[in-house]
Amino acid sequence: MDVRDDRPSPGTPDLPRDPHGGEQSDGVSRRGFLTRGVAALAGMTSVAAALSPLRHLDRDDIPSIAEFFQKHYKEMTAEDKQEVFRRVQEAVKRHHGVDVELADPGPLAGVEFVYGLNLSRCIGCRKCVHACVKENNQSSAPEIEYIRVLEMEKGSIDVETANHHYPEKVVPDADKYYMPVQCHQCDNPPCVKVCPVEATWEEDDGITVIDYDWCIGCRYCEAACPYWARRFNFTEPAVAGPLNTDMAYLSNRPRPKGVVEKCTFCLHRTRVGRMPACLEVCPTGSRKFGNVLDPDSEVAYILRHKRVYVLKQDVGTLPRFFYYFDERGSRYHEPISEEVGS
Amino acid sequence: MVLGAFAVLLLLDPLRFASPVAAPDSVPDWATDPTPVRRPSESPEYRVGVFRYGCSDCHRIIPSASEGRELPIQHTEIRLEHGINTRCLNCHHPTNRDAFVADSGAEIPWNQPQLLCAKCHGPVYRDWQHGAHGRTNGYWDTSRGEQTRRRCIECHDPHKPPFPSMVAAPGPDTLRMGRQQVGDHAGQDNPLRVLRHPRVDGAYPRIDGAEDVLKEGP
Repeated sequence: MDVRDDRPSPGTPDLPRDPHGGEQSDGVSRRGFLTRGVAALAGMTSVAAALSPLRHLDRDDIPSIAEFFQKHYKEMTAEDKQEVFRRVQEAVKRHHGVDVELADPGPLAGVEFVYGLNLSRCIGCRKCVHACVKENNQSSAPEIEYIRVLEMEKGSIDVETANHHYPEKVVPDADKYYMPVQCHQCDNPPCVKVCPVEATWEEDDGITVIDYDWCIGCRYCEAACPYWARRFNFTEPAVAGPLNTDMAYLSNRPRPKGVVEKCTFCLHRTRVGRMPACLEVCPTGSRKFGNVLDPDSEVAYILRHKRVYVLKQDVGTLPRFFYYFDERGSRYHEPISEEVGS
Repeated sequence: MVLGAFAVLLLLDPLRFASPVAAPDSVPDWATDPTPVRRPSESPEYRVGVFRYGCSDCHRIIPSASEGRELPIQHTEIRLEHGINTRCLNCHHPTNRDAFVADSGAEIPWNQPQLLCAKCHGPVYRDWQHGAHGRTNGYWDTSRGEQTRRRCIECHDPHKPPFPSMVAAPGPDTLRMGRQQVGDHAGQDNPLRVLRHPRVDGAYPRIDGAEDVLKEGP
């Protein structure tokens, strides 16, 4: 009888059947080989894909040995600094094609800087914002601006209702007043307290500075600042226009990607006796700057004789940036619409 | 197999990351120009087209203008919008047109306009003297460089003194990806104030979930 019977005949050993139906001769089936091979290939390709962004690495993304072992700014000797400054100059030359002298002006003895801003006179033209960007080599795309001009409702100083996105309209708006905000150079700076690596500190003349080579980009300081004064470089900064070559190590030298930056009262200007760029460009003369330890200075007069307002005084940051008012602003004659305050 | 294809796709990287951040806009030059808004005449002269006359060239022989508000035949381009100060000779000297007039009737030199403005604007003059009003440019440390104090008429037009309005420079546009959509908080600008202000008809503006909060109360 030629009857096919798949049942194992009695007497033959019950061999394990290969579930894939392949040969069992050397322990590797063809299907198993292919499956494992494809899986291994996929794994290796995944690793390669994960590493593929390394192809786009720039030379400057990898620190050199000297950069890796660079000391903290305060621990550097004069020779160390010259070495570091030379390296920064080379990087600027490589990226921007310009030769720069990197200055490092220190705090002046007997000088403590204070800024005054006359809220009765500011018209919100935002020229200070752009003069600052030009002076301090800030990135334009994505955009980094140290100064924010808040358009405020008349009648109170309520930053909750402020708008810094007001359009390019004719200013001042009769129903508003304007309050520029930038780094307040606090005497009790929360940004300095939270820095885990001491990359930012307060200098003797009151300016809080950042060593961009020491910053690890954790952004704690940005979160700690109650004035939103600090900015983070999410990408390589793209400076529009020619670089300002009057630069200092702790202020406006080009920043690398991934570090925090902020207003330094233009220390490369102010520590050699000049006024900051935002003040120079202000058409109204609302901005006042000087040495508060000099009793004859403009800011000392303002603090003694004018009505002065400290933004967020209750948070205890002790700012060196003071808003002040006149007895009567130049805009007292402007009508206030009835909607305000309703 | 799917995983492998995905890995190959990643490796070939056909959809490379392109930053959505647009190229930087150029900022207009005037936005960073520190020159004052006015450049007043440095000498007492009157310009008609290309001709220049000293003020006293005419006023030596032509009698003084009337005390009235009506503008004379000349100087019709001057519109005096200086509040209640509506008389030419409140400021200009009645006999010497190359000078201004002090309260005493004495002459204030042409190049000292701040003394004229101080006749009425006492507090502002006091602040200007101490640097709390007006522009100070150059060096804060005068031992290291020159400091420029701007005077009244370098910012204010004496015939129309309020500081001139101007168009604001471009505002912040952090990512240059266009304005972000800001939610409409039930017609209110401020999301924190929505619940506090009932509408005119007494009903609270509708927000998803807000009714539950209101019903439950504190």
